[in-house]
Amino acid sequence: MSAHRALAVTRKTLSQFRHDRRTLGFIVGMPLLMVVVFGYTFGGEVHNVRTLVVSLDTGPMAGRLLENVTGDTLDLLPWTDAASGRDEVEAGRAWALLVFPANFSQNLVARRAAIEVVLDGSSPPITAAVLGTLRAAAETTFVGGSAAPLSLDRQYVYGSEETRFIDSFAPGVVALAVLMVTTILSVIMVVREKAGGMLERLFATPLRPAEFVLGLALALAVLAFLQSAVVLSAALLLFQVQVVGNVALAFGILLLFAVGNQGLGIMLSSAAKNELQAIQFVPLVLFPSLLLTGVFFPLEAIPGALRPLSYAVPLTYAGDALHSIMLRGWGVLEVGLDVIVLLAYDVLALLGATIFVRRQA
Amino acid sequence: MGDTAAIVCHNLAKRFGEIEALRNVSLEVPPGVTFGLLGPNGAGKTTLLRIWLGLTPPTSGSATVLGERIPPRASLPRIGYMPQDLAVYPDLTVEENLALFGRLVGMDEAAIRRRTDEVLALVDIADRRDSLVATLSGGMRRRTSLAAAFLHDPDLLLLDEPTVGVDPELRSAFWSYFRVLTGRGKTVLMTTHYMEEASRCDLAALIHRGRLLALDTPAAIKTRTGAANLDDAFLSLVREANAA
Repeated sequence: MSAHRALAVTRKTLSQFRHDRRTLGFIVGMPLLMVVVFGYTFGGEVHNVRTLVVSLDTGPMAGRLLENVTGDTLDLLPWTDAASGRDEVEAGRAWALLVFPANFSQNLVARRAAIEVVLDGSSPPITAAVLGTLRAAAETTFVGGSAAPLSLDRQYVYGSEETRFIDSFAPGVVALAVLMVTTILSVIMVVREKAGGMLERLFATPLRPAEFVLGLALALAVLAFLQSAVVLSAALLLFQVQVVGNVALAFGILLLFAVGNQGLGIMLSSAAKNELQAIQFVPLVLFPSLLLTGVFFPLEAIPGALRPLSYAVPLTYAGDALHSIMLRGWGVLEVGLDVIVLLAYDVLALLGATIFVRRQA
Repeated sequence: MGDTAAIVCHNLAKRFGEIEALRNVSLEVPPGVTFGLLGPNGAGKTTLLRIWLGLTPPTSGSATVLGERIPPRASLPRIGYMPQDLAVYPDLTVEENLALFGRLVGMDEAAIRRRTDEVLALVDIADRRDSLVATLSGGMRRRTSLAAAFLHDPDLLLLDEPTVGVDPELRSAFWSYFRVLTGRGKTVLMTTHYMEEASRCDLAALIHRGRLLALDTPAAIKTRTGAANLDDAFLSLVREANAA
């Protein structure tokens, strides 16, 4: 055992990193990014849940209770009538609708008051936040009330009291699984093409970069198809994830998402000189997707300052579409915006991939 | 092919940052010959091939390949290329590799099958057609790469160091085939740093540090420099260039 020789290996390894500044930056920068983003997003607190309020109360108590809804968990919006408020919840533009009946104040005195709470129950953390905030406000308002004088009359537009946490995050996790595999796969594929001089050999034939990218994306789409089938089946069969919508549509969304990810993967790997550099891009894609997109907790739990970033990450749209299809039973028209964004993502990513591939051919 | 030169280039220059890989190279490769591009490592041979294939643009100068200005997009199906680093997929079989390149140059499946039989027999790896390239020896991989280059019977073969690591018997077989090809009017251009290899060519171009030092028949180059072999001729030309 020679310390001299061992140290020679150490020196050589550190020298390699010195020559590869990007890797060095990754080693320092990545954990920093992780800690910062995790710290901000894993607070788990839900903020700014859009909640409509229709108050028909002729007395003062509804107003007093609403004054005690403090903090930024709920964004209370006065609304004119219950019917159109319900439509807003159904359209996914609000998470909840609170209706205070006309005789609310009188009923409180009689200890039989109720608030009608119309909920989009497709996200259990949000349901819990809405109900929890209301209960806390009631407790503050009616201090000393031994028995709860107030009942929350819950009506679910989507989901139910039985909607589990796993039901609400399954769509996002399915999309995340597809994201990981398609991106990693295409990164590695292209780096391998480059490493063996294959890319250059291919472009010494009439093959054009766009053809190469399209051909590769098609092959990977076949794999993504299989993968989406496996992941969706696992979610449905193993965890009995609740699906009220069209599974085929969910499948289509996953495929749309996968194609864009392949383009992204090809682009990233083109910017890398070797496999080590290429693999570093993976967490770069993965962490924002994991933390900013509402996969594990609703977008409402992401701090306002980071929220614009959420809308720059494609998984936000794939996750939202899958969530709406699987838990709300929405059709293609209702998730139209998500579909358009994903289509744009596909086109841009494949175009970008072509440009990057051409540049090094 | 007629009398059109296979390759013509005028004052080709290529810079990579501070490095001058090619300095005003002008030459003409007539059709139907074996042409040796001769020079030490780093002389600029591979850069010339890459420019002719349209894989990299020259910094200045012009060139035509099979009568087409570079990049020779329309002529690529008539060009066969064997790069120095072999560039065959190790995770495909020999036959799958050939089929890929056949399809990329627009051959139909029947032609691919027929030509695969012919070229594999020629490079003597017909018995390994179903083997993954990863399981082949270095020499066999080189033969696979060569087979892929002339599968589509191209008019111009650009071979980057084709015979490195090929045993003498097979090298001799390659050379007989090159003669057959040139007899049919095809042009075979190869880079090499083996003088012995270059002396078998109809024409040899000597390149040193991006500069063309001589282009003639090997015999004429030897006569001109008064050298007994191409090795000595090359050294004498390099000395001459350095003195100038």
